[in-house]
Amino acid sequence: MQLEKLNRAEALRYMGYKGGEINENILKITEECEEALLKAVKPRLVYKVFGIEPAEEGIRVLNTSLVFKGKDISAHLKDCTRCVMLCVTLSAEADKLIRFYEAEGMEKALIADSLASAAVEQVCEIAETEIQKQVGEYHYTWRFSPGYGDFPLDIQGEFLKVLDAPARIGVNVTDSLILIPRKSVTAVMGVSETEIPKGRRGCISCNMKDRCQYRQKGLYCYW
Amino acid sequence: MDLKQLLEKEFVILDGAMGTMLQARGLKMGETPEVLNIEKPEMLTEIHREYIEAGSDIVYANTFGANRYKLKKSGYSVGEIIKTGIKNARRACEGTNALVALDIGPIGQLLEPTGTLTFEEAYDIYKEQVLAGLDSDLIVFETMTDLYELKAAVLAAKENSDKPIVCTMTFEENRRTFTGCSVSSMALTLEGLGVDAIGVNCSLGPAELYPVIEELCNRTNLPVAVKPNAGLPDPVTNTYNVTPKEFAGLIEKLIPLGVKFFGGCCGTNPEFISEVKKVLEGKKYVKITHDIPAACCTPSNTVIIDRPRIIGERINPTGKKLFKEALLAGDMDYILGQAIEQVKGGADILDVNVGLPGIDEKDMMRRAVKAIQGVADVPLQLDSTIPEVLEEALRVYNGKPIVNSVNGEEKSLETVLPLVKKYGAAVVGLCLDENGIPKTAEGRFKIAKKILDRALSLGIRREDVYIDCLTLTVSAEQEAAMETLNAVERVKKELGLRTVLGVSNISFGLPDRVKVSSNFLTMALTKGLDLPIINPNIESMTAAVKAYNVLAGYDKNSVEYISRYGQQSVAGEESKTPKGDIDLNYALENGLKNEGARLTEELLKNTDPMEIINDILIPALDKTGSEFEKGKIFLPQLILTAGVAQSCFEVIKNHFAKTGEKSVSKGKIILATVKGDIHDIGKNIVKVLLENYGYEVIDLGKDVDYQAVLDCAVKENVHLVGLSALMTTTLVSMENTIKLLHDNNVDCKIMVGGAVLTPEYAEQIGADYYAKDAKESCDIAKRVFEEFYPQGL
Repeated sequence: MQLEKLNRAEALRYMGYKGGEINENILKITEECEEALLKAVKPRLVYKVFGIEPAEEGIRVLNTSLVFKGKDISAHLKDCTRCVMLCVTLSAEADKLIRFYEAEGMEKALIADSLASAAVEQVCEIAETEIQKQVGEYHYTWRFSPGYGDFPLDIQGEFLKVLDAPARIGVNVTDSLILIPRKSVTAVMGVSETEIPKGRRGCISCNMKDRCQYRQKGLYCYW
Repeated sequence: MDLKQLLEKEFVILDGAMGTMLQARGLKMGETPEVLNIEKPEMLTEIHREYIEAGSDIVYANTFGANRYKLKKSGYSVGEIIKTGIKNARRACEGTNALVALDIGPIGQLLEPTGTLTFEEAYDIYKEQVLAGLDSDLIVFETMTDLYELKAAVLAAKENSDKPIVCTMTFEENRRTFTGCSVSSMALTLEGLGVDAIGVNCSLGPAELYPVIEELCNRTNLPVAVKPNAGLPDPVTNTYNVTPKEFAGLIEKLIPLGVKFFGGCCGTNPEFISEVKKVLEGKKYVKITHDIPAACCTPSNTVIIDRPRIIGERINPTGKKLFKEALLAGDMDYILGQAIEQVKGGADILDVNVGLPGIDEKDMMRRAVKAIQGVADVPLQLDSTIPEVLEEALRVYNGKPIVNSVNGEEKSLETVLPLVKKYGAAVVGLCLDENGIPKTAEGRFKIAKKILDRALSLGIRREDVYIDCLTLTVSAEQEAAMETLNAVERVKKELGLRTVLGVSNISFGLPDRVKVSSNFLTMALTKGLDLPIINPNIESMTAAVKAYNVLAGYDKNSVEYISRYGQQSVAGEESKTPKGDIDLNYALENGLKNEGARLTEELLKNTDPMEIINDILIPALDKTGSEFEKGKIFLPQLILTAGVAQSCFEVIKNHFAKTGEKSVSKGKIILATVKGDIHDIGKNIVKVLLENYGYEVIDLGKDVDYQAVLDCAVKENVHLVGLSALMTTTLVSMENTIKLLHDNNVDCKIMVGGAVLTPEYAEQIGADYYAKDAKESCDIAKRVFEEFYPQGL
């Protein structure tokens, strides 16, 4: 996976930018950080596809030890017969660069951190496109991550284990459930043979995606 | 049979995958395979037996993830799982010559600085596994991606057993591991630590791994082991795409590279192993011996001493008042600042010396090494006169370092060289002994020879001995300069060793020292100096080395020189601004750090420092603060101005240090990111702003134990504690820290902040203040010290 450029507008939004003039120096630093990040990071993806079935507490993932618990994930995967479990990361290089900047000057650290957050979101989108291409022409829900709604965050460890993420892409989780490298995301997408109601489909499959006001602001119509 | 005897065979055949075999027998993904050692021992023995029948000389016990961290929820202990795992394998070996390896994989938690596990904790976890696995014939560490973790593992194995050790790491197609470790750094570091074989496993198939294996074979003289996957996995079917026959065909191509051990990883099974055995039949092991160059490294940066390389000398408190103050205050940021400045200045290697009367040098050295290697990707030269301090630094260093130094005295040779050998470092040998520094080149040469001979007798490689012929002050002993240079020449030519010199000392006591130092440097380079120890921030010194590398033909096509100096006319953050036209306020508003420092320097010539602080810096900070509150500017702009102010304060601090005046502290504040949380950008921003406003910040860092906050607050008599947490999962740590402070009746106020906090929640967990952003934390500090502790500064 390759990132060509980073979503600066999104990064500025993370930094609390609400419009108005931006100091020229900030723009320069942003450029410098973007260039350094693009050079340093090695985005990686691992995903697997599993059959799923409803279970008492939520959704059972077949051939694994996993049960996705909670009302929200159950609703999200309603009518889906399979799911894609995925994990992406910008790699430890992103953390390393941000750490370097922290010692050099906090403005750079903040800007690089925000750019990296924007970048991992971009990587998720690339991953989603890639997965849909590989898995085939089905109907997909948007990406639902542990921690959303009542989908428990403490599933992270087992989630990564099923994906073999530590060995495959170098992602681990701490006891306080923080993914490391820091700029990493785990998520579940439902796969269905039949059409999925609009609210669960996600941006990639939406024909408004290039014009959407929400997306331009970094928001979603569904969440 | 043991590994040594086994190595007499042409090739050693390892086994194939365990997980794949277990999954085929019903293990679900996500389950812990090691519990089957106890619950289904016959099944494990049967799998090992299948591999032995297919041709494996060594089988790996089913102990890959058997560490206390991964087994936490399994209901079994590390000892139980490992002992039965080895027993199951041993049973399969009965009646054969096959050996059993204690198989150990990564812990499953990333180490500092990226993760939260400390090096010492990792060592402990591995030690427990090693001790549980003493019934094995050898120890294998595999699928490792972090060289640091692997070093902890190897030390744990070496210090707690006498088993042979095989290490294999997992590389991607770019020939790096996930943590950025390169093949050359792996080879240098592990060979230095004295393991018995190294190699690669997992991640890719034998075709994709070919270039990685080729590079590894070229960089080591140890036997090489490979265990590739059966190609690449299909995410939908979870199967791999290379057949046993194809696999064996690709393995055959690896023979000429010089590989000794062959096996398989994910997706392989006994069929793969028997095909591998077939292709190896009748083939000869290709033993290739390489010259491994003089080099030191970090995991991702190998510095080969094939041309003059700069060692930065600035991390050393000798004669530096601010540095001493920073050491006494445990201020790691100051040291990191020095590190980064030198790397940007052009240092290839950094000398680290933190020796100062009154501090715990061992503890400081450990902290400094860990902190510096977390941000600066250059090898370190560990500098101390105390062997215990050197050993501590050698343990926690990640990669292959240089030890500074040993000398010709018997006591030094006896204590330092064994450490150099054990930890696989390079070493600087000083040409002095119990009689002091010999006056003549001949005398120094003799000591160099003595050091070399002793090093060689301990098994230290000749390439790892660097000799320092010692620079004396030319104003005191004029004839000594040429003696030093002649000694350098002889050591280089006659002993073939790399040479080191602390250069700056030459000009001590003379005016305009740089002129003398840089000329001496050039003279030394032409005599064969490889490692000048200099201040890389002095441009003419660094330039002398860079220019020499062009003139002596090392810097091919002047590539390095051009990349450093070619852009000069357009580079520089402030090149566009005419220097005469701007004032300090302009610099502050526009984020011009260097200009800010320069202008402060100018102002200090005829302005009282307190006037600069109170009339310029503080009003500028207040202005940006209020603009930030009104939403006129956003956070990076606020920090940028704060950063400029910080550089101005640095200058003023320096001024105070010189004149002996004391800067006034408005109050002491502890800042910490709570236990379990590692997001510290927010906390660090708060720190910059608070320091700007004249508060003395004690930064305890991230992932801070509750007790550490309490201890510090009591010891330092601190009245304001700032806690940060960014995760809902770590808010409980914040609550616990506050509770501990309250339970111990510490006389302090507590302010909290972080993305997931609300004012209501802050109140609920017992905080006195909720700070919505960095600016507000300054307002809170002001209020707290004015209202509650006006006298107690």
